[in-house]
Amino acid sequence: MSERSFYVRWGRYLLLVALAIPLYIWSWRTADINLVDLIQGAPKARPIISDLVRPSLLARERVTLSVSAVVRVPCDAPPPEPPPAEGPTLTLSATCLNARDSLVVSGSGFRPNTPGRLYWRVAGLEGRLRDEPFETDAQGRFTVETDIPPLLAQQGGDHTLEAELKWEAGALRPSETLRTTIDKMIETVFLALMATTFGGLVAIPLSFLGARNLMPTTPWGTTLYVAVRSFFNTARSIEPLILATIFAIWVGFGPFAGVLALSVHTIASLGKLYSEAAENIDPGPIEAIRSTGANEWQVIWYGVVPQIVPPYVSFTVYHWDINVRMSTIIGFVGGGGIGLELQRWINQLQWNSAATAVWAIVLVVSAMDYASAIVRERLV
Amino acid sequence: MERAERVPQPAPPNGRRLAPLLSLLFPGAGHIYAGRQERGLWIAVTAATLLTLLWWLKFWSLLPALVPFWLWNAWETRTIVQGRRPSTVKLVLSAAIIVYAIGWRVTEIDVQRLAAGAQKIRPFVVSLVRPYYVDREVTYAAFPAPVQVPCGEEPSPPPAGAGSGPTIVPTPACASVGETITVRGEGFPPNVEGELWWENPIGDRVRLRSGGEFVTFVADEQGTFEVKVTVPDVVPRQFQESAQLHTVEARYVRDVGPWRLTETSYLVAQRMGETIAQALMATTWGAIFAVPLSFFAARNLMQFHPLALLVYYLARTALNVLRAIEPLIMAIVFVVWVGLGPFAGVLALTMHSIAALGKLYSEAIESIDPGPIEAITATGANRVQVVWYAVLPQVLPPFVAFTVYRWDINVRMSTIIGFVGGGGIGFLLQQWIRLTDFRSASAAIWAIALVVTVLDFFSRKVRERFV
Amino acid sequence: MLEVRKLTKVYDDGTVALKEVSFTVPDGEFLVIIGLSGSGKSTLLRCINRLIEPTSGQILWDGVDITAAGQEELRRIRRQIGMIFQQFNLVKRHTVLTNVLTGRLGYTSTWRSLLGLWSREDRARAMRNLELVGIADKAHNRADELSGGQQQRVGIARALMQEPKLLLADEPVASLDPATSHSVMKYIEWMNRERGLTVLCSLHFLSLARRYGTRIIALRAGELVFDGRPEEIDDRRFKEIYGDEAIEVEIR
Repeated sequence: MSERSFYVRWGRYLLLVALAIPLYIWSWRTADINLVDLIQGAPKARPIISDLVRPSLLARERVTLSVSAVVRVPCDAPPPEPPPAEGPTLTLSATCLNARDSLVVSGSGFRPNTPGRLYWRVAGLEGRLRDEPFETDAQGRFTVETDIPPLLAQQGGDHTLEAELKWEAGALRPSETLRTTIDKMIETVFLALMATTFGGLVAIPLSFLGARNLMPTTPWGTTLYVAVRSFFNTARSIEPLILATIFAIWVGFGPFAGVLALSVHTIASLGKLYSEAAENIDPGPIEAIRSTGANEWQVIWYGVVPQIVPPYVSFTVYHWDINVRMSTIIGFVGGGGIGLELQRWINQLQWNSAATAVWAIVLVVSAMDYASAIVRERLV
Repeated sequence: MERAERVPQPAPPNGRRLAPLLSLLFPGAGHIYAGRQERGLWIAVTAATLLTLLWWLKFWSLLPALVPFWLWNAWETRTIVQGRRPSTVKLVLSAAIIVYAIGWRVTEIDVQRLAAGAQKIRPFVVSLVRPYYVDREVTYAAFPAPVQVPCGEEPSPPPAGAGSGPTIVPTPACASVGETITVRGEGFPPNVEGELWWENPIGDRVRLRSGGEFVTFVADEQGTFEVKVTVPDVVPRQFQESAQLHTVEARYVRDVGPWRLTETSYLVAQRMGETIAQALMATTWGAIFAVPLSFFAARNLMQFHPLALLVYYLARTALNVLRAIEPLIMAIVFVVWVGLGPFAGVLALTMHSIAALGKLYSEAIESIDPGPIEAITATGANRVQVVWYAVLPQVLPPFVAFTVYRWDINVRMSTIIGFVGGGGIGFLLQQWIRLTDFRSASAAIWAIALVVTVLDFFSRKVRERFV
Repeated sequence: MLEVRKLTKVYDDGTVALKEVSFTVPDGEFLVIIGLSGSGKSTLLRCINRLIEPTSGQILWDGVDITAAGQEELRRIRRQIGMIFQQFNLVKRHTVLTNVLTGRLGYTSTWRSLLGLWSREDRARAMRNLELVGIADKAHNRADELSGGQQQRVGIARALMQEPKLLLADEPVASLDPATSHSVMKYIEWMNRERGLTVLCSLHFLSLARRYGTRIIALRAGELVFDGRPEEIDDRRFKEIYGDEAIEVEIR
């Protein structure tokens, strides 16, 4: 290729680019590109990015201390004297009150410098009512003022006031998020492994049918070849996520649906890669083996198989890598793996948890990427 | 590695018996003792990983599946001390037993469910061959008859007099919700097939079902038929006390209009356009950002200074991290950021394209031939001339090829980015599948298959011309 | 005796590779086939063991019509005809030993060969043949680790495994340098002289043909244009075969 023809060619492509401008205008509009939204929305993205660097990995055990006292509302008769307590104690300004009366609660002997909160257990009702928060001082004392909620008067009777302190103690251990993430990442990797294996096993025989040089040139052979190749091309164009939606209806939500969806996609992609590899084999050794008087089975075993094993293994490892990526998202539609948890965490705006999952994905996918590259290098 | 294995390692004194025992104690230990450190280490790490997995998952019942690997590794150690070459394939196969046992459990593979669920998926498979692109406008002949629900004090209305045309008679003429009545039709065209509908007093219509299937009728030679229908629950509870007049209606197709495109077709076409546009925008933006980035991520351009090398490592790491996150995950984040719609999808695909293209571009730069650069420089050309005549002609073809390839991939991706609200056909497709509107879903799937295959072919042609 | 009668091959695309070629080869002859690239040498050799199906004509070997043989019979015939190739056609990922052993496939049952259960006798024979061609020390190397000349010697050992009566050699030295060429040709000559094999060998260079052949036939565009003893090829004949522009070069 001379230098001149090179630039003549590029001139032609420049012309093509000019023709592409209307296409771009249409695309810009259809894709709803809106840079204003991007900039105005930036504050919403702030917590995402700041939490991305603070994934939830470790947590300490949480300790809860609760001390209670009895209060009568409305005040129709004096309440029984509280038994004298050891350790942390609550002192109330009054134990018999009416609605909206003011109540001063003070405590002593608590854990110093710890946040806490008051709760009401209302007589005759389930659950408890949230009230004022407080924090203990350096001596473990606190004082907090609150109003009696009207609900207490409505119900009537002896109600329990609880002062509850929560703090972290004990050794660091993997947080609940991390444990879930590890569980789901194991599932993700195995999901990909099973799908690659099943897909590969089905793709191997199919790939022989899809290799022009291995199929006889009879009308039947050609028809079968065209049919297999069309199946590869069509099935390959449907993303595994779409297949997973369908398999989730078939076998229910869970990793099995994901395995099936990825398997079908793997059959198609690997089938295509395999048959192309089979088409590229050197006919020389086959000819040589045949000339020794070997039968067809022997020709395949000694002439074809040794030539296709390295590319087949290399493509399979490569596809496992791709399947791991896919199975990180297949949970979005109920196909198992980390996807479901990740989507849940993002939807509930638990960005720390989401960050844990994202970093786990990055780690595993990069490791797989690296490992598959090494394996493929060794094989060639 | 191949070659290293062929060199027979001298067995240590007394190692012949000890090494296999060590390997039996813990896999790989005997290998290390017998001088095969690398292999032994790999085996030990594998065994430790497998044990950790079993512990984490509490799959103790799968321990027997670990036995073949454990025993084989000891047997292999014996082979090694005898100076023979161990077979890696057999070792990997023995480890595969436990790996697949775990995999089978973790992924909840259940062939029974596959067989049992086949019924649920049949309508979908049937729909696959009947994508809902075209239909015909159909006019019905409808014949109503009143039914009183429930039976009240007032007498139920007399059945309509036998006219000249088709008539239907429900018996009894009054019933409560959930009760079964018989509808008898007379005077219908012989052998005509039709369906039954129900109308409540305020004019809402439903097609009658029985056990999940629509109720249909087929008239006999004389034009009569008899079907049982269940009175449907189509009025709010509190109004079901007093008797009301409902209508049961028999219909058959009187006239079939010409073929026409369905609403689904228009929707699919519009969303596929959106999908392609999205992919085009994302590829373009991706390429624009990836080109400058790729120069920083090309090792051969960044070796002139330690600081530049640091930039190289940073750029490479950033590209690798970004590339590991699927665009769908990014799309969820961008949906929070810019709201639902195709723009969120474009942004997610752009991010992923930057990473993927950046890596490919930088590899293309790294693999350019220094020969032409040397030759052009030797002619006395300046830097710009060198870039124009020696560097650009080398990197432009792979850049174009990779970009077109990326567009192809982005179209595939944007068919699903709608699953999380990122625009394109994915959202509609998911809705249709969830609502079991399988014929429309089938229309979308075939459209995707067509567009993706065509683009695949086109991108392959372009790449063949450039590389 | 090998007898080729009016052998014609027309490929699917209409190319006529062989036009009614007839000749006979008595047992023990070293027949060299010369001609330009594309003159039909390879096609002729491959028609003899029917790696390529001839369009018409007959090939008789000791009175048996090879062209009429059924699949089973053809395989029995093939295993008595050794063949070596220009590109050696070894299975690159297999060891040298396995490559040599594949020469016994025609004598081994399918299941034994699929499991790699070669008989002790065959293994010993393979080692002997490797010793014969001087590369016994490479028996456990992968085939693609060997040099070109060594690979061709593996090819010869593979052919020897068949205990053939006839050897077809398709440009056996065209991918080798001159020195290696002679060493490989000497092995083929040895098979002809000492083992009494009939050899049909196609060659590019006339000098090699003159040195090793007991008889030469020449093909030009699929037609037999010369059949005689090496010394009968003079300048005029040479131009007939190779065209007017050609100059003879010597390989030493």
